[in-house]
Amino acid sequence: MAIEADDEILQDFLVEAGEILEQLNEQLVELEQNPQDLDLLNAVFRGFHTIKGGAGFLTLDPMVAVCHRAEDVFNVLRTGDITLDASMMDSFLAVLDILNDQFARITDGEDPVAADDALLLALEKMTTGSSDEEVPSAPVEEVKPEAVVEQVAEPARETDPQGDITDDEFEALLDTLQGSGDAPKTGSSADVKPEPAGNDSPGGDAISDEEFEDLLDQLHGDGGGPTAKSTAEDKVASTDAGSDEINDDEFEAMLDQMHGAGKGPTVTAGDSTTPTDVDKGSAETPKAPEPAKKVVSADDAKSAKPAATKQVAKPTAEATVRVDTRRLDDIMNMVGELVLVRNRLHTLKEAMNDEEVSKAVSNLDIVTSDLQSAVMKTRMQPIKKVFGRFPRVVRDLARSLKKEINLEMVGEETDLDKNLVEALADPLVHLVRNSVDHGIEMPDERQALGKPRAGSVVLSAAQEGDHILLTILDDGAGMDPDVLREKAVEKGLMDTESAARLDDKECYDLIFHPGFSTKAEISDVSGRGVGMDVVKTRISQLNGSIEIDSQKGKGTTLSIKLPLTLAILPTLMVKVGARNFALPLTSVNEIFHLESFTTNVVDGQLTVMVRDKAMPLFYLTKWLVTSMDDKEASEDVEEQVVVTHLGNQRIGFVVSQVVGQEEVVIKPLGHLLHGLDGFAGATITGDGRIALILDVPSLMRAHVR
Amino acid sequence: MTVKVLVVDDSGFFRRRVIEMLSGDSRLEVVGQSADGREAIRKTQELKPDVITMDIEMPVMDGITAVRRIMAIQPTPILMFSSLTHEGAQSTFEALEAGAVDYLPKNFHELSNKRDEVTRLLCSRVWSVGQAGAKRPPSVSTASPAPARRATGSTIPALNRTTPSASKGSFKLLAIGSSTGGPVALQEVLTKLPGDFPLPIVLVQHMPGSFTQAFAKRLDQMSKIEIREAQDGDQLKPGLALLAPGGKQMLIEGRGDTLRIRITESEPGQNYKPCVDVTFSSIAKVMPSKTLAVIMTGMGADGREGSRVLKQGGSTIWAQDEATSVIYGMPMAVAEAGIAEKILPLPDIATQIVNNV
Repeated sequence: MAIEADDEILQDFLVEAGEILEQLNEQLVELEQNPQDLDLLNAVFRGFHTIKGGAGFLTLDPMVAVCHRAEDVFNVLRTGDITLDASMMDSFLAVLDILNDQFARITDGEDPVAADDALLLALEKMTTGSSDEEVPSAPVEEVKPEAVVEQVAEPARETDPQGDITDDEFEALLDTLQGSGDAPKTGSSADVKPEPAGNDSPGGDAISDEEFEDLLDQLHGDGGGPTAKSTAEDKVASTDAGSDEINDDEFEAMLDQMHGAGKGPTVTAGDSTTPTDVDKGSAETPKAPEPAKKVVSADDAKSAKPAATKQVAKPTAEATVRVDTRRLDDIMNMVGELVLVRNRLHTLKEAMNDEEVSKAVSNLDIVTSDLQSAVMKTRMQPIKKVFGRFPRVVRDLARSLKKEINLEMVGEETDLDKNLVEALADPLVHLVRNSVDHGIEMPDERQALGKPRAGSVVLSAAQEGDHILLTILDDGAGMDPDVLREKAVEKGLMDTESAARLDDKECYDLIFHPGFSTKAEISDVSGRGVGMDVVKTRISQLNGSIEIDSQKGKGTTLSIKLPLTLAILPTLMVKVGARNFALPLTSVNEIFHLESFTTNVVDGQLTVMVRDKAMPLFYLTKWLVTSMDDKEASEDVEEQVVVTHLGNQRIGFVVSQVVGQEEVVIKPLGHLLHGLDGFAGATITGDGRIALILDVPSLMRAHVR
Repeated sequence: MTVKVLVVDDSGFFRRRVIEMLSGDSRLEVVGQSADGREAIRKTQELKPDVITMDIEMPVMDGITAVRRIMAIQPTPILMFSSLTHEGAQSTFEALEAGAVDYLPKNFHELSNKRDEVTRLLCSRVWSVGQAGAKRPPSVSTASPAPARRATGSTIPALNRTTPSASKGSFKLLAIGSSTGGPVALQEVLTKLPGDFPLPIVLVQHMPGSFTQAFAKRLDQMSKIEIREAQDGDQLKPGLALLAPGGKQMLIEGRGDTLRIRITESEPGQNYKPCVDVTFSSIAKVMPSKTLAVIMTGMGADGREGSRVLKQGGSTIWAQDEATSVIYGMPMAVAEAGIAEKILPLPDIATQIVNNV
């Protein structure tokens, strides 16, 4: 490597290139919808240009080679001399794949592999071949009328009267035609006086490849050879970046981007919508998701919300700082501790009954909340970061399955915690692939059913109070509960009788069972049968829940509910015996006094009838409290039932006392207790005691059946 | 007093590299950075930097537009980072015409293979551009009036020919050497020469090889005389200006009326490609006494030795004055060597040439 690059510089480049590649991914798909969008063309051009610049700095020649050619094509595209078509698009996506591969290799400390010559050549041909006017056999009508007038007006201009066009003139001609369409255009047109004579030029129609190459070399001075040699630079290989670190960096890059003054059309309005304050989230009305269709052009977006865009366009006076996310995590942790102290003070305040102290604590309360939400905001990323990859995923999938799909994305600007954004990526991809593969029918089939040929998949995100609601809606075939029942029996998950007892919703939930796949054939897209239960597990790990609803022939809706952040958990604090336990608020549906309801034992299971539905009832004292003292202590306390849910199954937990809602900071259990079923972690409560945080699914697994 | 630098580039990676290199030089202080042209304008007004390094391709507002605006609002010396490609040449000339002082290749490998050397070159270039101060280039052309100019060419007011000097008519060749600021200065001079200019012209402008052809073509479009990049074997003829190709050396050979261009590869140790001294020295061999040589704006002292030899042979040497030079280096060298017969402001150079040939 000519310029010795240290690791840090390489990392810096990888962060930026990664960010741009991600954007290019979106922009290219968007471009397919709006091939004439100049802003988009410019943005893509700059994307390749910037990667080329950085790769050039680090002498990553294979990367430079492919970027250089892509940049050239877009340079011509943005002048409007040639227009984008589907086959070009395929080439560009191939370019992107190669770049991503090179990027991954560099990240892994390997040498980037050069793009194959065929692709490079195809790109080169685009700049010349596909637009006839650049070949000497330019159609005469290409000559601008003004140019002809100029010619006549200026007979004095010395030009070779012969038909043979000289190299220089030819070059001039090329330049004129390829020029960036600015003022000198007409002027230079006059230079190429013997325009029609171009037809006689020896090159003629049958311009050979070699001539093309020469032409290109002429046009792009430092183009180098078309064959990019993979120069094996060991220095590049010396990096070993863990993927975690990259993700962190990506996050930082994202932050930068958010603060930047509207880098490209893709970063428009989303930035200006402030992330809803988490603390006050529940008080606020859910933000109405703006239908920002994926294919929306920058212009559309602008006209849709002029105010917002204006704000973005205006250079803001921010100075951005890159912060290691680990530092953010630390801060978040400390804020967590502060929240605990606040909670503690709160409790003490009640006891002291001193007005001054009350005031001070109230103030601390406000400041802590503000601090907490401010720190949270630093960790917020728009979900666009995950959504961004879907247009490409869906496009590729639709092409390979020969389906027609319109992907609509709503609420891309919804912010959520960085960790969540990352953790959501895989489950969401899986679900969307499922919708496309299993949900949407083939175009002909759809037509026969009286549906539009193109299926629709709507991906939406919205903040609802203190959680995020993600939905994936398709208008495909939907699910047949009977088929699911049959399948369940067939797979030995349950007997025919219990299968028959399942209601429709419970049938849909079957797909979350491990080893349940309804597709007869295993496709390479989805249907390996490991997906859905993994998805479900992942989402539970994020303290979220997933629900499925379907209508046969109409389509399927998957809804995922997630907390805004993973660090601070809103819980319902309950007492079981004399001990405190925290139940994640997301899993709590309602609370009622047990005494006012009658209980029955059905099939050995204590149940209670609530609104004419039977619900199993469990005494948490039996599971969580062993000491006799505690049991006795609980005898005289009136019993309350906390209704939670596991999937769609409602479950009642009988507790001794409901203390109230409390935000807790999750602390992992120590080594000795780690992995204990039923607990998600521990926390310190307002009264200074330790409370275990209950994990409903694993609690049920540990104690029932 | 340090030179305050504003770094403008949409790539954070590139900005950080540039800042890294510049911050190693104690004469320079990076006071800010911007990711697009509009921000650059704002930061320029706010930070009042002494030098701006400017990228061309940027979102929101491109570098050329930004240069134009900055030169209108708060003239500041600007150093462009350009792609040294054919396309890059066009935008670079536009940026220079808009008021940028100088340019450097965006791909630093084109400067040198050694990182230290790149850093040194970059720093010294930024520093000297900063020293140049914010001179508004006395460019007459504000737009790109190429077609208009040609159309109305004959009606450009005839230059004042009433004061022919004693040596009028004795010149057989006009040679001009220039560097930083030269593209705009050459444009200013050459576009004022009449189509029937009686002498052959040779031009030596420090410029990379990928730029000279585009530059010659650009000048040609704007001027009434014919201008092109010199090729080996080209014959000098009246009204034809030949521009020395970048990356090479241009020699003038032959005798009497049949002078020809000889293009050679640069030898190691020749810092400038093309080099004014090399070309001028070769002229001193074939046209020692009948050459009018003009040294215009540029960094360094290239042209002084060549001019000295020409002067010794009896030729006439002029230099551009300090006030109108973007960088008063090469003209100063000639002036201080005492070999310049006239020190002229840029707007007068063309007039004086026309009056004296």
